[in-house]
Amino acid sequence: MSTQRETPTSTPAKRRILGPCSVVFTAANTGSWRLERPQLDESKCIRCGTCARSCPTDCITVSRDGCPVVFDWYYCKGCGICVNECPKNALSLVKERGEH
Amino acid sequence: MVKLKFYGIGGQGAVTAAKVLSEAVSLFEGRYAITVPAYGHERRGAPVFAHIIVDDEPVLLNCYVYDPDIVVVMDEGIIDKKVDVTEGCTGSTVLVLNSGSEDYVSRYRQLGAFGDIYVCDATAAAERNMGLSIPNSAMLGALAKTGLVSIEAVEKAVADSFGKVGEVNVNAARDAYEHTRKA
Amino acid sequence: MPFRMFDGNGAAVEAIRMARPGVIAAYPITPQSSIAEKLSDCVANGQIDAEYIRVESEHSAMSVCVGACLTGVRVATATSSVGLALMHEVCGVTSGCRLPVVMPVVNRSLVAPWSLWCDHQDTMAERDTGWLQFYCGTVQEVLDLTLCAYRISEHQDVLTPSMVCLDGFFLSHSMQKVSAPTDEEAWDFVGPYVRRNMYIDPTDVMFVNDLCPTSEYTEMRYQQKVGFERAADVAREVFDEYGRRFGRRPCTVEKYLLDDADIALVTMGSMSGTAKFAVNELRRQGVKAGLLRICMFRPFPAGEIREALKNVPVVGVVDRSAGLGAAQPPAATEVSAALRGAGCRVFSFVGGLAGRDISDGAFKGLYSELLDVFEGQAQSVNTWFDLKGDPMALREVDIIC
Repeated sequence: MSTQRETPTSTPAKRRILGPCSVVFTAANTGSWRLERPQLDESKCIRCGTCARSCPTDCITVSRDGCPVVFDWYYCKGCGICVNECPKNALSLVKERGEH
Repeated sequence: MVKLKFYGIGGQGAVTAAKVLSEAVSLFEGRYAITVPAYGHERRGAPVFAHIIVDDEPVLLNCYVYDPDIVVVMDEGIIDKKVDVTEGCTGSTVLVLNSGSEDYVSRYRQLGAFGDIYVCDATAAAERNMGLSIPNSAMLGALAKTGLVSIEAVEKAVADSFGKVGEVNVNAARDAYEHTRKA
Repeated sequence: MPFRMFDGNGAAVEAIRMARPGVIAAYPITPQSSIAEKLSDCVANGQIDAEYIRVESEHSAMSVCVGACLTGVRVATATSSVGLALMHEVCGVTSGCRLPVVMPVVNRSLVAPWSLWCDHQDTMAERDTGWLQFYCGTVQEVLDLTLCAYRISEHQDVLTPSMVCLDGFFLSHSMQKVSAPTDEEAWDFVGPYVRRNMYIDPTDVMFVNDLCPTSEYTEMRYQQKVGFERAADVAREVFDEYGRRFGRRPCTVEKYLLDDADIALVTMGSMSGTAKFAVNELRRQGVKAGLLRICMFRPFPAGEIREALKNVPVVGVVDRSAGLGAAQPPAATEVSAALRGAGCRVFSFVGGLAGRDISDGAFKGLYSELLDVFEGQAQSVNTWFDLKGDPMALREVDIIC
């Protein structure tokens, strides 16, 4: 998605498109909607992947090595579903501090 | 212009017969036809009507037939099902009746609505040639006896319309044509 | 061109087959069913190289068509009556997204009362959903207009979907002789589908049909209006070309013996041939009767209609729609507007609902009413014709208790 934002979606010679569509994705940064963010307690995490499967925007990556859970803060809206679904209570919602 | 009305029972192929007749005159005699089937509840056993208008010129009318020149009855028993086959008939309307029973022929005669009556046991002809009691092709053979359409055109249209079973249907039409008599 | 035999549904399928759609999604409904069935046959036996996507409703059928068309293929579907009503929401998406879908609609009444038979209330309910509408008079026209509709709808300046309307049973199931182009001739005329507007393409992303702000909605509707304005000219150009190629020119309106007419009827669809037959008989009796058939209802050819009818003193418009609660039913409303200030007296007739036959006798009755007005023996006409004695007393039951 980010590469497409940087590349123009129409050829340099202008082409008109009729009807409702968007080619400039200024509203794509849904991470800016967050009031709270999920925070991981690594000591409780068993890397089961439940949070990633339950994320409605598919912005959680769980890995075997290193940091177990990585969030894509550009898209994470802070909905808290991952926090509710985590079987080990390894996730909690904390107040957003303004960094994306 | 000749106006026809087909009466049948769902499953006998009255609507198909109307379409095949349309093809016979349109493609094989260079004339024109219009068919308007009157569908009701589409099921076997229900009375079915089809309206056909045949002309040497393109047919403008695209409506039902109210004053038929020829009435084709594909099931003699239809007069026992509260269907008035004499509707709009003039007394000189030609009847083509599928019947093997003299009783039924005289009952239709006594209705007083028809002039010439052509009779053929088309169901028997269908059974002889196809092993099926679907009289539609056979009735087109019987209809050819009235002179409305040539038996050759009927045969070509039947062969074209019925695909794999075209030949047995053609045989049924020819058989019925040869067994049709004026009552 | 050799003649072939088709019923209306068969002619629609033949035109669709010739236009080589890549995706088909149709839900069967009486009297359209044989279109859905025959399209499925064509895909199964290789006559159409398309993906046939089975759907559980007309809403889904049109949704599939929207998505598929956005990927850049020609799509096919067809419907009727309540199926069209269920499709209503997505019909607006199709036209609003400027997707040039061509859809045969087999005209059948809306419910209740439940009915399977022909009138124009289903497509008239869709007349303002942003689709072009053509009403066929014969089976030949079903083939001709469907082929033309692809060219008109897909034209760069139009990009507006088309409903090709054919009367249930009177055309859909009427076997007639049709002159059809060869597959090559038809393909040479229709041509391959070219995506000209928005699309779904993972290598060139756009967000289709997102929430449109108040500040832009009006402009997008205006774009559609411009498309409709161009559609009228494009239709005439396409009809001219079709006429040159195949010897039959489809029309936006058909004028029949109007030049010296004292009275005229305006008709649509399969009833028009019967009306012409009645005009011929009246002419033989010395009555100066004429006929105007509206073939293209959207865009409404108001200028042509005004030009054709402005010198006819008394005009009657036959609607196969009830037009409940309206000043006049749909066709009469539009014809009246087109003739405003022209000096004609315009009357409305309502009939032929739910497959009630409009016979040549019925048409002669309508002309007779117009003649009475023309000769000053009547001030108005009976709008609802061929009506049973006391409609309010259709059902009477005993009062129990």
